[in-house]
Amino acid sequence: MNLIPLSTDQAPPISVPLRFFAIAPLFLLLAALMLALDGGNPFAHAHTPALLAATHCVTLGFVTMIMLGAVQQVLPVVIGSTLPAPRLVAWASQLLLIAGTLLLCFGFELGKPALFNFAWPLLALAFAIFISAALISIARAGARNASRTAIFLALLSLSAAVILGALLAYGYATGQALDYFRLAAAHVSVALGGWIMLLAIGVSYQVVPMFQLTPGYPKWLTIRLAPAVFATLILHLILLLLDAVPHWLLLVTETIFWICAILFGSSTLLVQYLRKRKIPDATLSFFRLGMGALLSLAILSLTLKYFIAPESFKILAGILFLLGFALSLIFGMLYKIVPFLVWFHLFRSANKTETPNMKEILPEAWMWRHLWLHGITLAAAVFSLWWMVAVWLFILCLVLQSLLLGYMLLTAITIYRRTLKLIELEKSCSA
Amino acid sequence: MTSLTELDVRGLPPPEPFEKIMQALQTLSAGTELQVRIHREPFPLYDVLRDSGFAWQTDRVAEDEFRITISRRP
Repeated sequence: MNLIPLSTDQAPPISVPLRFFAIAPLFLLLAALMLALDGGNPFAHAHTPALLAATHCVTLGFVTMIMLGAVQQVLPVVIGSTLPAPRLVAWASQLLLIAGTLLLCFGFELGKPALFNFAWPLLALAFAIFISAALISIARAGARNASRTAIFLALLSLSAAVILGALLAYGYATGQALDYFRLAAAHVSVALGGWIMLLAIGVSYQVVPMFQLTPGYPKWLTIRLAPAVFATLILHLILLLLDAVPHWLLLVTETIFWICAILFGSSTLLVQYLRKRKIPDATLSFFRLGMGALLSLAILSLTLKYFIAPESFKILAGILFLLGFALSLIFGMLYKIVPFLVWFHLFRSANKTETPNMKEILPEAWMWRHLWLHGITLAAAVFSLWWMVAVWLFILCLVLQSLLLGYMLLTAITIYRRTLKLIELEKSCSA
Repeated sequence: MTSLTELDVRGLPPPEPFEKIMQALQTLSAGTELQVRIHREPFPLYDVLRDSGFAWQTDRVAEDEFRITISRRP
């Protein structure tokens, strides 16, 4: 019996997620370049042009690039529903995202806000296309589960982050008199606390038990956590944008958010501790590092932030959240789902040709090396706040991470293409 | 009369559940049902079953356990 390959209206072609994953490491390289081009210490304060440019390279060019690819792959597996016109949505949203991110980052780096006038419409269009397609996919899905809710709320947060970001970019470019401090705070809270955090929650509910063989997250938590985070963020957003709101009210919403983050981080570490096969696994260690960074940030935010200079704390919080939490989870997720995707698509195409084992697609030894490199990168970034030598170490580590991840992803793509050719050759010989 | 073959893939790491179900389907004879016990709902499997001429019924028997009964479509 021959099993028939999946048709493209049921599962996205492998090229859809892989094109997002393959291009993302270049933006880590660009982030390193932006920091290297800064004359002094780019970590001197939170709004140096180089730091703003590098941050957007990481958040848009790397994190969001990979998350858009991941959402397109995760939705069919989690809720059984694919994005409409997957190739067209992937092609259009990725090209617009690349162009918009480059213009935005060079606008920051070169001190030319006029470039923002070109950047924000491209980015707004990229996200409008992607978010609309993803919401259609979610609306027509039969399955209802906690991951679906978290991904839906993450997309709503992304919409808010895009609107606020576009308003900021438009304001800077045209010299509007806006309250930039409050708008930027609102933009950061929904982009990081909403889009990245909620998507991490939704994906972890699936990826952690599925690939790390842990028990499921507690049901009481999965039902309530994402809605609680989203409601807190919306309340925080309203308070930020209103005039004359007592400061203690903002502290209350911040405290609730960080308690939610602690619940997510500690429950992930707990289910990982209770896993059935207690064998070393680099991807699991990436997740643990990520949760450790999240918990550290939450505790710092709830207690120590009053003892560290506000400007330094802002940068430290950004480092712990983006490099420590988001990037660690992304590396851990990529090193599981890329080999699985390659295996799955080859298995479905294969007739007699042997499909490579998942462990042969990406060598685990290199994942461990990447984990160590990522740990050093994170430590160097933290020390960069006070020590200029650490800035150069951080930039070097970021370059090495970009090259290493790019090498790993290209290895997987090469194995896929080579094996697919063998399969097609075998089929043509037997026909 | 329909006979039943049971397959328990609970707790196996990806891609073993999918591989084992595919292997079992290769040898599934007419008049035999394959009953799979699995720890998560395998949405991608449904597409393969639909395209390959199988019918299936999914029952959630516990929070983290599904029972999928697969047979050849007449």
